[in-house]
Amino acid sequence: MQVTETLAEGLKRQYKIAVPADYLETQVTAKLTELAKKVSVPGFRPGKVPMKLVRQRYLGSVMGEVLEATVQQSSNKAIEERGLRPAFQPKVNVESFELESGVQFTMDVEILPEITVADFATLEIERPTALVADEDVDKGLEKLRNESRATKKVEEARPAQSGDTLVIDFVGKDAGEPFQGGAGTDFQLVLGSGMFIPGFEEQLIGASVGDEKVLNVTFPAEYHAENLKGKPVTFDVTVKEIREPEQAELNDDFAKAFGLDSLEALKIAIRGQIEREYAAAGRLKAKRILLDKLDTTHGFDVPPTLEEAEFNAIWTQFEQAKAAGEKDPMLDGKSDDDVRDEYKRIANRRVRLGLLLAEIGRLHNIQIEDQEIRAAIFNVARQYPGQERQVLEFFSSNQDAITQIRGPIFEDKVVDHILTSAKVTDKTVTPEELLKADAE
Amino acid sequence: MSEAKKGMTLSRERAYDIILSPVITEKATMISDKNFVTFKVLLDATKPEIKAAVEMVFGVTVKAVNTVTVKGKRKLFKGRPGKRSDYKKAMVKLADGQTIDLTTGV
Repeated sequence: MQVTETLAEGLKRQYKIAVPADYLETQVTAKLTELAKKVSVPGFRPGKVPMKLVRQRYLGSVMGEVLEATVQQSSNKAIEERGLRPAFQPKVNVESFELESGVQFTMDVEILPEITVADFATLEIERPTALVADEDVDKGLEKLRNESRATKKVEEARPAQSGDTLVIDFVGKDAGEPFQGGAGTDFQLVLGSGMFIPGFEEQLIGASVGDEKVLNVTFPAEYHAENLKGKPVTFDVTVKEIREPEQAELNDDFAKAFGLDSLEALKIAIRGQIEREYAAAGRLKAKRILLDKLDTTHGFDVPPTLEEAEFNAIWTQFEQAKAAGEKDPMLDGKSDDDVRDEYKRIANRRVRLGLLLAEIGRLHNIQIEDQEIRAAIFNVARQYPGQERQVLEFFSSNQDAITQIRGPIFEDKVVDHILTSAKVTDKTVTPEELLKADAE
Repeated sequence: MSEAKKGMTLSRERAYDIILSPVITEKATMISDKNFVTFKVLLDATKPEIKAAVEMVFGVTVKAVNTVTVKGKRKLFKGRPGKRSDYKKAMVKLADGQTIDLTTGV
């Protein structure tokens, strides 16, 4: 095998590789001998086919295989000998392939840049944290309280108002005939909820217990039942009870509805949840700051093909969003060229950080356990209730999907690793500041 | 017959008709070491005819021709007794140093 370097420019390398004919010959012969044991040719018992015949019949297909294997092997060997670390699969261009003269091919590689990783201990990162204020806990409680929709019977006689819940019996009639699905008894209807067709609830406002009313309403034109579309009908309604929403008492009983012993425990639970939210947000911010730092402290060239691929991915997304009429507020009032430049910058940053994190992970021997991948897959599966099985099958049969899921896990691990060794100082900020989303 | 021994004349068409196909089997490969080439030929072809035909078609010198009539196997076809066709096999000995590439076809 003869390797000559024909191009070394930036991160691009091109090699011309020639494999001699006798190497090919031995490979081909070995393959054919292997094959001769298996092929069946009429007129011969299996394994008794003369070599000459086998060669004549199968040379073409064997040559193809040998070519592929040879190119693969020799390019790998060339890469190994030179200690190259290619950024992705090398591009191979076969120039000539003859059994008599051997193989000549060129190989285009883009190598990974040499990255010198800065000492993490010198990195100073401010991790924003926020204290959970008592008001926040109270707010959380209040939200829970509003969500629990308890109602109580109105004892005094008063007309129904919006927001009340009426217990009604109703029969819908189309030209005097009851129609299907138009009747109900002891139905709880919240006035103003818009649950029924327009006009129904409004006409019940002001009704009192024991009232029997005939409501004239018209079904909307886009009603789902074909025979009722746009039809004027009447409803005979009997109001049996008026209930008003009740503010749940904030006491231990309220907490028990959530499976906790006391109000105090509920408060602690809410506080804990908010704290977790803040911590996650803080971590996200810290990660961002860290990535920014890494971005500025590590300057190296990025393999153009990788950058190009990343940019194309972003760009396709952008075009799709544009076609769908969505607009990124960040890009308002910018021309396509400006947008392109902006995205180029983002692509470069992403690839650079990706490479850097990969390098750091490699240097510090950060591994992903199968368990972690499995946990991540289960997390994904949980998002598709009822289809968990299919999701799991999809992952077990699809290597690409697993690779995709690996990426973020790896990134997180590397970031965590850096954060443990970097100088991290906590800085207290207001919750609003903490939760404010960053634009990339 | 005397005519045949001296070298018979036969039409080109007859020559191409006589030689049906090469026989490529283990047995045929074995005798090819001794410079024999094996063909399937017309049942009614004679040795002199075969010799002349092979010489004409492949442009070689034939030293000897051995023939055998291979009887068709008796088989049941759709439950009725039947018989595969007989054929004549000719082992042709070529002059030293001459070969015929059987796979290239006539």
